[in-house]
Amino acid sequence: MAKEKPVIASDGTLVGGGLSKKEIKKIHMRNMNEKEIAYLRRKELIEKVWPVSRFLILFGLCFIILYPLIYMLSCAFRAQEDMNDPTVMWIPRHFTLKILQQTWQAMDFGSTLTNTLLLNIGCSLVQVVTCAITGYGFARFRFKGKNLLFGLVLMQILVPSQIIAIPQYMEFRYCLGLQPLIEKLSPALGAKFNLIDTPLTMYLPALMANGIRAGLMIFIFRQFFKGLPKELEDAAYLDGCGPFRTFVQVMIPNAGSSFLTVFLFSVVWYWNDFYVSSTFFTKNNTIALMLKNLNTRLSLVLFNSATVEVSPREQILWMEAGCLLAVLPLLIMYIFLQKYFTEGIERSGLVG
Amino acid sequence: MADTKKEKKLIKMPYERRKGLYGYGFIALWLVGTLIWFVYPLLESLRYSFMEVKPEAGGMQGTWVGLDNYIYVFTGDQNYSKYLLSVLVETLWKTPLILIFSLFIAVILNQKFRGRVFARAVFFLPVIIATGPVYNIINGDISKSGAASAGQFSTMFSTDLTGELFQFLGIYGISDKMQMMVETVSNNIFGIVWNAGIQILIFLAALQNIPVSAKEAAQMEGATAWEYFWKITLPYVSPMILACLIFTVIDSFTAPDNLVMGRVLDMQSDWQYGWAAAMAWIYFAIVLAAVGLITLVMNKFIYYEVD
Repeated sequence: MAKEKPVIASDGTLVGGGLSKKEIKKIHMRNMNEKEIAYLRRKELIEKVWPVSRFLILFGLCFIILYPLIYMLSCAFRAQEDMNDPTVMWIPRHFTLKILQQTWQAMDFGSTLTNTLLLNIGCSLVQVVTCAITGYGFARFRFKGKNLLFGLVLMQILVPSQIIAIPQYMEFRYCLGLQPLIEKLSPALGAKFNLIDTPLTMYLPALMANGIRAGLMIFIFRQFFKGLPKELEDAAYLDGCGPFRTFVQVMIPNAGSSFLTVFLFSVVWYWNDFYVSSTFFTKNNTIALMLKNLNTRLSLVLFNSATVEVSPREQILWMEAGCLLAVLPLLIMYIFLQKYFTEGIERSGLVG
Repeated sequence: MADTKKEKKLIKMPYERRKGLYGYGFIALWLVGTLIWFVYPLLESLRYSFMEVKPEAGGMQGTWVGLDNYIYVFTGDQNYSKYLLSVLVETLWKTPLILIFSLFIAVILNQKFRGRVFARAVFFLPVIIATGPVYNIINGDISKSGAASAGQFSTMFSTDLTGELFQFLGIYGISDKMQMMVETVSNNIFGIVWNAGIQILIFLAALQNIPVSAKEAAQMEGATAWEYFWKITLPYVSPMILACLIFTVIDSFTAPDNLVMGRVLDMQSDWQYGWAAAMAWIYFAIVLAAVGLITLVMNKFIYYEVD
C-alpha cells in the first residue's frame, strides 16, 4: 500500500490526466477501508515527527561524544586565570598559546612524536604484512591441527596482555635466556644483551605476527581471504603459479583496501597503547606513555620552581592541552581517512 | 635407495596434501612467534601462580607453594573479591545497555537523512580515542569537574538533572530503586556512548545486509516500523548480536582501567608476581567461562539464513 502511493503521486499527471496530486490522493483514499486510512495517517504523522526527534537524539549524543574534544580545545587556549573566572564557560577570555607551548615543552613533543611515529608506523607495517600471511594460511589451506592452531589465535584475542606481560619482560630482559650464558663468557658483552628500552621489544613480536592485537588482525584477514572467490587462485595455480607467488601477485592486489583498514587500526592501537609499552620502556618514549605520566612530568618540569603556584583545578588546563596534542595526529588522520575506517570494517569481512 | 623413495613419495603426494604443507609455510612465522611470545609466557605465568616468586638476576626464582596464592587472593586480599564482584556486576548491566544502545543508533544511522556521514563519523570517533590514556583523563576530568569545579559543568553531567526531572514529573520518592537505576544509566551515558563505536559499526553493516526483498515484502504487507524491527531487523541482525556481545564482554573485561586489572597491576608493581598471576588467572577463567556460556546460550536464539 505504502509503496504504491508515491508512484502515483510522482507521475500523477500521466495517470490522473489533469488532476492535481491532492485530488488523486482523495480519490485514492476513497477506495480504501478504515484500517488502511488509519495506517496511512499514522505513517504520515510518524514521518513528520520522527525526523525532529531523530535530530534531537543524534544532536544530544553527538554532543556527548564531542564534549571532551570541545573542552580540550577550549582549555588549551585559555589563560590560567580563566579557570577561576566563573563567567568563562567555553570561550576563553584571555586567548593564549602559552599553555600549549609549555605542554609541548614538557612533553618534549617534537622528539616524542618522531619516536612514536617511527615505532608506530614501523610496527604496524610489519605486523599487517605478517598477519596477512598468517591469515591467508588459515583461510586457504587445509592441514593437520589447523583448528587447534586457530584456537590459539582466538586465545590470543581473549587473553589480556596483563597476564603474559611479566614473563615477556623476563624474555626481553634476558634475551630468551641467552644473556646469562653470554655473561659467563664476557660480562661486558652480556650487559648488552638486554632488550628492555630498545625498540626491538616492539618490533620483534610485530615481526612474528604477535604484536598488539595481532590475534584480531589475523582473524580479520582470515575472514577477508575466505570471502575472496576460490577461482582466483585456481586460475593462478593452473597457470603454474606457486602458492607464495599466487599470494603476492593475485591475492594482495585484491586486498588493498583491507590492508589499509587493518593498517590504520593497527596504527591507532599502537598509538593508544600504554600498557605494553610501559612494561618494556622505563622512559617516556611514546606519546601515550608521556600522557599517562603527564602529571608527574608537569610537576617535574613546569611547576618545580617556587615562584609558580598552580592549583589542581588549574592543572586541568595543562592536562587538556596534553590530551589535545596527543589526539591531534590521530584526529587529522581520521578526518582524511574516515572512509577507510568505517567502510573498511564492513568490507574487510569482520562482519559475516 | 631410501632417498629416492622419499623423493618419489614427495612427488606422488596428493595435491591437497602438498598444498597443506604450504599452509604450514604460511603460518610458520606466526607459529614461532606465538610459541615464544604467547604460549611460553602464558605457561610461565600459570607456573608463577603456584609459586612464591622473587625476581633475581638471570630470571625469576621461586618456591612451589601449591594453591596458597589462590587461597590468599580470596581470603587474605581485602580488595580483590570486592573488585571482582563490582566488575562482574558492572559488565552484567552495562553490556545489554551498550548492545541495545548501539543497535538503536545503528537503526537510526541506517536511515537516509542529511548529515548522515557526519553523524557516522562522530559515533565512530570514540574508537580512535577511547582505548588510550586520553580516555582516562577525559573520563576523570568529567567526573571531577562535576563535583569539584565550583559547579561550572554540573548543569551538564550531574545527577541533579535526573532528580529534578523526577521531581517535576511528581514521582520523586515513589520508587527509590527505580530512580537509582535511571540515575546510574544517565550518569553512565558517557561510558556507554564512548564504548559503543565498534558495535554500532558492526550492526550498521548487518543492517545493510538485510535483503531488499524482505524489506519490500514487509512493506507490501503493511508492517509498521515497530513490527518491522521485531520481525525483520532483529532476526537478520541476530548473528551479529552474538559477535557484538562477545566483543563487548571482552572489551570491558580486558580494559586496563578496569578495577581487577588495576589490582593485578598494583600487585605486580609491589613485586608480588605470584599473587598477581593467581588473580589474573582466576579472572581469565571467569572471562572464558562467561564467553563460553554466552555463546552456548545465544546460539539457540540466533537465526541463520539458510542459503
